Amino acid sequence: MRVTSQMVYNQLRRALQGNLSELAEKNTRLYTGKKIDKPSDDVIGMMNAMGYRVSISGNEQYQRNINEANTNLELSGTVMKSLADGLLKMKQLTSTGSDAQSQENRDRYAQEAAGLRDFFLGLSNTKAGNRYLFSGYQSDQKAFVYNSVTHAYDYQGDLGEIKVPVDKGADVSINIQGSRAFSFKVSSEMPAKLADGTPVSTSQTTDPSTGITTTTIEIGNAGDPAHDTFSFSNIMDLTNVMSYAWKYQDIDGTALHSNSGTNELMALHRIMALTVPLDSARSQALNMEAEAGIRRVQIRDQNTRLTATNLNLKNALTATEDADMTETITDIKKIEVALDALRASSASIMSKSLFDFLTAV
Amino acid sequence: MPLFGLFDIGKSALFASQTALSVTSHNIANVNTPGYTRQDVVFKIANPENMHAGSLGRGVTVSSIKRQYDRFIQSQLLGQHQNYGKSFAMNQTLGQVEQVFNEAQGMGIATALSEYLNAWNDVSANPEGYTQRVVLLQKANALVTNAKQMERGITDSLKRSNEEIKGIGDQINSIASQIADINGSIVQAESGSGSGNANDLRDQRDSLLNDLAELVDFSTYEDANGAITVTVGMRSLVYGENTNTFSTRMNTDGFREVYLAGSNITSSVQKGKLGGLIGVRDNVTSNILHDFRKLVASLIKETNQVHSAGYGLDASTGNNFFNSLQINTSGSSDNASVTSASITNMAALTLDEYDVTFDAANNYFVHNRQTGSLVTSGAYVSGGAIAFDGIQVAVSGTVNAADHFTVSPLEGAIANFGVAVSDQQKIAASSSGSGLPGNNANAIQIADLFNSSITDLGDTGFMDYYQGIVSNAGTLSRAASNSLQFDDNLLAEISNRRDSVSGVSLDEEAANLIRYQRSYEAGARMIKITDELLQTILNL
Repeated sequence: MRVTSQMVYNQLRRALQGNLSELAEKNTRLYTGKKIDKPSDDVIGMMNAMGYRVSISGNEQYQRNINEANTNLELSGTVMKSLADGLLKMKQLTSTGSDAQSQENRDRYAQEAAGLRDFFLGLSNTKAGNRYLFSGYQSDQKAFVYNSVTHAYDYQGDLGEIKVPVDKGADVSINIQGSRAFSFKVSSEMPAKLADGTPVSTSQTTDPSTGITTTTIEIGNAGDPAHDTFSFSNIMDLTNVMSYAWKYQDIDGTALHSNSGTNELMALHRIMALTVPLDSARSQALNMEAEAGIRRVQIRDQNTRLTATNLNLKNALTATEDADMTETITDIKKIEVALDALRASSASIMSKSLFDFLTAV
Repeated sequence: MPLFGLFDIGKSALFASQTALSVTSHNIANVNTPGYTRQDVVFKIANPENMHAGSLGRGVTVSSIKRQYDRFIQSQLLGQHQNYGKSFAMNQTLGQVEQVFNEAQGMGIATALSEYLNAWNDVSANPEGYTQRVVLLQKANALVTNAKQMERGITDSLKRSNEEIKGIGDQINSIASQIADINGSIVQAESGSGSGNANDLRDQRDSLLNDLAELVDFSTYEDANGAITVTVGMRSLVYGENTNTFSTRMNTDGFREVYLAGSNITSSVQKGKLGGLIGVRDNVTSNILHDFRKLVASLIKETNQVHSAGYGLDASTGNNFFNSLQINTSGSSDNASVTSASITNMAALTLDEYDVTFDAANNYFVHNRQTGSLVTSGAYVSGGAIAFDGIQVAVSGTVNAADHFTVSPLEGAIANFGVAVSDQQKIAASSSGSGLPGNNANAIQIADLFNSSITDLGDTGFMDYYQGIVSNAGTLSRAASNSLQFDDNLLAEISNRRDSVSGVSLDEEAANLIRYQRSYEAGARMIKITDELLQTILNL
């Protein structure tokens, strides 16, 4: 092949350009630390990296959801624990206060029961942030409020279960509805007769829209002078009934009976009849505490799994997009050597032509 | 033969050497001139004198000065310049479009989309929270801004392509008129008996053709007088000393189309920068831009459908989260126009684009623009509603078979993209009734959209579909840069071959210089000897 000056020059120019652009590319890799600078560098790698990043961001969101759920469940669990403890104290009061006592003792019992009632009411209206924990979907409403007309404690919440996603297609409920935490069914251990032989009958109805169970207890037979019927639909109602019973009063503050003897009998009957419901309430609270605990364990496991997954994803992301520094620097050195050799050889080729030798002749 | 004949032979040798020396000098002078073709002197034995002893030589003449030129290589070079121009233009535009989707450097919409999704998740975990709701609105607005910026990035580079197409049109006209001028000069220089080739003019014309080849594909033929005719898309651009005007005009889609001598030749321009720009423009519009708009339109449609079924904190319902999709129409008709276009059934909308055409018998036809399949047809009534796929359009006026309208729910999808909810209370996180601040079922359902396959997007999820767009942009850009590399190498290879045949070698010219110098010296010596011989005779 005939070689001309233009060819030599063009080839040199292209070789220099080729080397320099490769050098520039490696340099970019070095200062960005990434081997994928734009999608066309490695389309598949880019797609994978994007997929990893989206998954990581999604998982981190699930972990934030888990944190939120954990806060709520932890608080709910603590409230249930306090509730159970309070009910235990209540139980102690009934075991020592179920017989006739002096006026001072009865006042003390009544006061303590009223204190516990208010404590339970406070628990039922616990707030996490701006959410009432036990109101279901009605989370801007207090779960229970005192109704000054009926003298009962009314549930203002509903059965709403607040679920948050903790994984693709997996939700966890972060709340315990007030109707499940503070309303309860009296267990079948409820005796048919009190210790003194008075018959007791219990009937319960559950409102399907709120889940609140109303229990009505009838003591004695119809026509008896001490015949008594009363009802309660939650723990506050229950303690309220007892508090007034120690005062020998109904919840509206009136005497249970005009005859003081009958009045005392009826009040003591009430206290006796409420021993088993107290146990039922307490075991309900403990169950709820356990349920909150189980859910927390479940999401903690999920959290651990998400953390592990994200670690794997981050490793994969690094492997996909990050440049190997040692390799890059070695490559740069190689190109520099080639470039130096090219410059040296071209300098000697370009400077020589026949004319250089003609002058010497 | 008289003694003076020796003078003539010596003189012919001097003249020939002197000519050869000037050609050599011309070659050396043009060693770096692009497009210069090396010239060679062709020596010829002068007509001999017949004597009784035989024919006696009468020295040398220069028969011609020849270009070292390979017509085949030159035509390959023209073809490769056209390929190179095309690849260059495609690589340039696709490289810009790729940058819009450069997720490697945090461009693109993936981050904004994830954050928007996460904001819905936060709202679902805290449906009554004020902060979470405000953050959701901020993230949604950021998503809107991001999508708009990206669309502008794409349309801006398409606009630049349009401007460049106009500029190239002007360049083509300028080159064409120069070629026409040189055509005239060559015909003049080469006419008349005994004139050789107009070497340098031909070099100039070849250079201009190379320049033209980078811009547009064309074919040429040379007539008997040496003038060439250049045809682009079956129309003459240059013929003899005349040119036709190359021009560009906007079409209804806002794209420039190219015209030569008044006829639209856009579809026949395949190569050169012009072919590349036109091809890549259509490709980007019908693939990347279309898909991106479809993604946003789908996000609007799906989100709004779920959102409007839910309830806000203030118990409001039926609210769109994003501004509702709108139908854009455009088209060409002398006497008819689209009087209304609206979405009648959001759920039936398939996010396709449609062409509405008419036939001579006054029937209308609606075709899917992407697949080409017939969607619906019927008898045209002026002002009557044409309904299909949840869209209803009305056309009024007299239509004819050449009329054509496009109907698209996608074209304005990003331009009209915006968050419709401004009051955080109206974010419908709740799935039922009034006053249920803790109900998050609807928020979960919206966040769940990101885990679902969307029918309109070919049963892929939002993220997967977006990945497809990025991958498409990357692959197209990759292919363009590969073919640019290939065409560049091939062009260098062919140029190399041309230089090998036609280029100037200084070594060669230096040798020639000495050779002709020596032959000049020898010729001069001959004249001196002849003179001495004459002297001898005169001194007798």
